[in-house]
Amino acid sequence: MSDSSTGAAMTEDELHALVGQRFPGGTRTIEHWENWLLTDCTGFEQLPDGLVHPIALFHVPIQGAGTSIAELFEISGAQGAGSVGLDGYDWEYFTPMREGVEYRVEGSITEVERMVSDSGAIADRFVYSIDLTDPDGVLTARITNHWRIRR
Amino acid sequence: MSQAAVEIGTEIPPWTMAFVDPQRMKTMAAILRDPYEVHWDHEAIRPLGFDRVINQGPLNLSYATNMLMAWQGPSSIRRLNVRFTQPVFEGDHLVARGTVTAIDEVDGRQRAHCDIRLDRGDGVAEDVVMVGTAVVAIGGDIDDTSQ
Repeated sequence: MSDSSTGAAMTEDELHALVGQRFPGGTRTIEHWENWLLTDCTGFEQLPDGLVHPIALFHVPIQGAGTSIAELFEISGAQGAGSVGLDGYDWEYFTPMREGVEYRVEGSITEVERMVSDSGAIADRFVYSIDLTDPDGVLTARITNHWRIRR
Repeated sequence: MSQAAVEIGTEIPPWTMAFVDPQRMKTMAAILRDPYEVHWDHEAIRPLGFDRVINQGPLNLSYATNMLMAWQGPSSIRRLNVRFTQPVFEGDHLVARGTVTAIDEVDGRQRAHCDIRLDRGDGVAEDVVMVGTAVVAIGGDIDDTSQ
């Protein structure tokens, strides 16, 4: 985890100020070795014709947008083991992704929400969306990930 | 890839991950550059009341994508929308399942809308660890001209 593990909990105003914050953006090429290992981790056979395993839409958009899981933890104010939960993903595939293609990657934080349980426990919904386009400018994929940050 | 007819109510052939391997979680953490120690450090997970490390969400989703790719081909997936309901731990036995709920046509191609889920257990006592929906191009992505 980041240094934020010792920091104070994020205020609700600070949380809402995150909406609209854009990631730096950049490009990302998926190499064969990376796709091979990723596919192997899933227990599936290697894919033909340089096709990228669909699950690459978790880390490739994050890294290609110029951020990281660690930085997202820091931005969202996650504090230590057990503080981050995955609520869900919404991933759209417009054309197949392939190894060796340089994708343009852009995205931002799109939504936050502070939730307080009946027992007073606080958790924040943290949502970001990232687009990947191919070298011809064609939208290849769009992801929206929903995280839950327990305070 | 399955050549069977696809219609509303069609059950997608299940896909099984018989043993969630913590070594794969370590490789996955390196690929993702994921610093969250609950995926690879047993010392970090014990204070949370667990004695087994927690599988990454993308890996849980991958078992459902593997089911869909085995069914309609490796470039058939058009959309995945899932929600995680329970953590998955090392050693768990998982089965991805799905059912066709609707069929539509876009640009002359048929697509299956499916309910998908990931079950943990041995088929007798199971709990659902992920639920969601998927859109799959029937017969694979024959529009793909990007090669």
